[in-house]
Amino acid sequence: MLLTTSVGSLPKPDYLAKARAQARKGELDHKALRRLEEQATREWVQFQDEIGIDIVVDGEQYRGDMVAFFAEQLPGFKQSSLVRSYGNRYYRKPIIADKVRRPRPVTVGWWTFAQSLTSRPVKGMLTGPYTIMDWSFNEYYPSRRATALALAGVIHEEAKDLERAGAQYIQIDEPAISTRLDEIDLAIEALGVVTKGLRAKTITHICYGNFEALAPKLMKLPVDQIDLEFANRKFELFGAFKRLRFTKEVGLGVVDVHSHRLESVEEVADNLRKALAVFKPEQIYPDPDCGLKTRTPQEAKDKLRVIVQATRIVRDELNGARKPSRRPAAVAAARKR
Amino acid sequence: MLTTVVGNFPKVAEAGYGTAVIGAINRWQKQELSDGGLEDVFQDVTRAVIKEQEAAGIDVVTDGQIRWEDLVTPLARRLEGFEINGLERFFDNNVYYRRPILHKTPVRKQPIFLKEYLFARSCTSKPVKAVLPGPYTVVALSEDRYYRNVRPFLRSIAEILNEEARTLAKAGAVMIQFDEPALGFGKPPMKDVVEAINIATTGVQAKTALYLYFGHLDGTLPALRPCRVDLIGVDVVSDPKAITAVRKQKWTKELALGCVDARNTKLESVTELHALFDVVKRVVPKGRLYANPNCGLEFLPHEQARQKLNRLVEAVRRYK
Ligand SMILES: [Zn+2]
Repeated sequence: MLLTTSVGSLPKPDYLAKARAQARKGELDHKALRRLEEQATREWVQFQDEIGIDIVVDGEQYRGDMVAFFAEQLPGFKQSSLVRSYGNRYYRKPIIADKVRRPRPVTVGWWTFAQSLTSRPVKGMLTGPYTIMDWSFNEYYPSRRATALALAGVIHEEAKDLERAGAQYIQIDEPAISTRLDEIDLAIEALGVVTKGLRAKTITHICYGNFEALAPKLMKLPVDQIDLEFANRKFELFGAFKRLRFTKEVGLGVVDVHSHRLESVEEVADNLRKALAVFKPEQIYPDPDCGLKTRTPQEAKDKLRVIVQATRIVRDELNGARKPSRRPAAVAAARKR
Repeated sequence: MLTTVVGNFPKVAEAGYGTAVIGAINRWQKQELSDGGLEDVFQDVTRAVIKEQEAAGIDVVTDGQIRWEDLVTPLARRLEGFEINGLERFFDNNVYYRRPILHKTPVRKQPIFLKEYLFARSCTSKPVKAVLPGPYTVVALSEDRYYRNVRPFLRSIAEILNEEARTLAKAGAVMIQFDEPALGFGKPPMKDVVEAINIATTGVQAKTALYLYFGHLDGTLPALRPCRVDLIGVDVVSDPKAITAVRKQKWTKELALGCVDARNTKLESVTELHALFDVVKRVVPKGRLYANPNCGLEFLPHEQARQKLNRLVEAVRRYK
């Protein structure tokens, strides 16, 4: 119970960030870049192993944008020139120009590499079909629904291959799902295509906007676990969840990925104790709010360590190995369940 | 039928006028580039996008809003009373804007877009229209911590926009456009919106236009009939039912048909554009019709934006 994990991305070390910039300018060849990506992956897996994270991620050291990474490897997509996202930030929004195909696995090689480095389970990380659709131009499929469902078939194949390779956990991220709630039924339908028949535990991470509107649909998401940011919203979601009949597992974001401030162990432990008043211990997977790639490597490491230490304290309290320091009522209640 | 654009243009063009804007803004933010240095880059790109509209054969051009980060903060930043806050999603696009927060009575101390307008006009002999955010969209995209009430907020923004519009008209703007994408979402308070638009257009010595784009058109057109504007722009791409609403409307104003999808790269055929022209020419006389993309072109990569404009002009020229 209270298995710790991460949402997916971890920051790239300086040497890798520099190498990627060099590779873009053609000053570094593909092989040399790949070696550094492997080095960074190895370092992150070792770090998670050492501090005792229960479910490890590969840290996505070889990915840039979460949609572009898939678009670059799936025939049917073509790359566009720059479009602006906000302020002075630009990206290459992929164009679906033809039927999207998957002649070979996209993530299985990296997953296998990461899993070879640790005895802990490594999570497979995929971008969901609704998000890929919403973040791409479409010149081929007749509608948004047709696009999302076609992509769902492709991502399903990838998930199957991850499972065949041995992945016990597969996360399908849908950050776009909550930005157009008028289309949430389509997003649910597409996600259902992805997870259909999978025996691995399935997870989706949502960066929510309007939680009140999203809440009634949460139980309909065809995954075992829903991962949400709690810390960033000062844990006010606990109140909302109390009113929901929520039986899925919850990826519980307990540190804010947008803040430089390092949470204290006691503060995170206390929020986990509060969570025990809302969820059963086996429902809860403590993790950061979102991908940690926006933090420095040091900040990310510090935040992950705090999560592990805080979780250990609360876990020991639940096992009766440690006297609860605060909120004994919630912990006692959780132990009875 | 005349051709025009809605407002913004890609700020960068890897195979065209370049990506100087990105580096210039970065250097300016790090204080390695002066205000004047940044302004030079903005002027170069503004001139380039105006030349591009001319080359495509667009009849009424804009400055491409090269300086604009989004639709509302260029105005809100230069008014007293607003603070600019964090990123929010811009309607149903995968694009973000910074949300203005109103803390006290908004005040316009001096003309806001006048210099930019005069520069754009000096770049071309074609008519240049001035584009402003509409009062309702400013209100809808802002957080109101002062009035805590839509109507007085709308009225004060409308008065400010009216001062600005009068200034621009005096400076020679032939057309002044108010963009109201927010009218496509939720249930806008249409009576207050009409009142605000009428305040904004009062006494403006230029053609006034109200542009609707994104979302849906349910009931919006009939509710806008009492608006004192000369032209209404409608996006018939985002809402599949919009063309029916256009057909059913009793048109007493000019109509600008937003018929080319500026949010997707798929290029329209001349035939499908002509089918839309066929519908609108039955409800609005040809001399009172404009054709333009459904919204600003900045959602597209530059190459596709250029192709879309060329296709629009081609369709209008070949239309009999
Ligand atoms: Zn997130």
